[in-house]
Amino acid sequence: MSLTNDIYQRIASAKIFIDQNYHESIDLNEISQKTFLSRYHFHRLFTKIYRRTPHQYVTRKRLEKAKDLLAENKTVTDVCNEVGFESIGSFSVLFKKEIGSAPTHYRNAAWLKKQEQKHHPKKFIPHCFIQMHRIGK
Amino acid sequence: MITKLSHTSFFVSDQDKAYDFYVNKLGFKVNTDAMMENGFRWLTVTPPEQPDLEIVLFPASGQNGFDEEVNKALRFLLEKGVMGAGAFYTSDCRATYEELKAKGVQFKSEPKEQFYGVEAIITDGCGNWFSMTQPKQGF
Repeated sequence: MSLTNDIYQRIASAKIFIDQNYHESIDLNEISQKTFLSRYHFHRLFTKIYRRTPHQYVTRKRLEKAKDLLAENKTVTDVCNEVGFESIGSFSVLFKKEIGSAPTHYRNAAWLKKQEQKHHPKKFIPHCFIQMHRIGK
Repeated sequence: MITKLSHTSFFVSDQDKAYDFYVNKLGFKVNTDAMMENGFRWLTVTPPEQPDLEIVLFPASGQNGFDEEVNKALRFLLEKGVMGAGAFYTSDCRATYEELKAKGVQFKSEPKEQFYGVEAIITDGCGNWFSMTQPKQGF
């Protein structure tokens, strides 16, 4: 089934809306109304195009943002609230399941890496670049 | 046995502009953004679903290890848009085209059916242009 440009524009604008408002409570009825599609059709088309349901997409968006915020050494509670999860318990369980380590563990490792990159960036640059571009000399 | 490509460079006419394009518009992740003592900025980004490929956004000016003659030539080639091309994959070319168009991204061509899938040509505003392809199954 081929879709019209107008449908693509509406689904794309819904994705942009989610990208900008993922930390709020996202209501499928509200978004589908914005696209002038029924809830059923919006859900079906979004899932077909992005290969994730709207709910899965919002969850992934929140987890990705959580990774960024944890790497800034923010507390798990602050991160949980900032990205829109309602309970720390469910956030922690989901984070570990999807990302592979607990939020605290992820934060400690990511923060350490970030500090190391900041203070000793050359450790992270392949030597061919350092040699060719005389980086840091 | 070589197994993967881990780093590649895109020369860009402006690193700040390139950051805005690749991170804010395309949704790439910043891997490293570090300033060296001599003022050189090492900026690498990764495609959203390819975190182990670092794309170095290399400035075609300033403290990049090249002399001014080379930088001038690089900037000339970027202005002419002949620095070489690349191809990005997308799950849906037409939807991504509409999304990026809404974000102000410039295209050299709209989505078209090709033998290998649906393809649009995108420009980064920093001298580079790419294919944005939704591959057909089996490609």
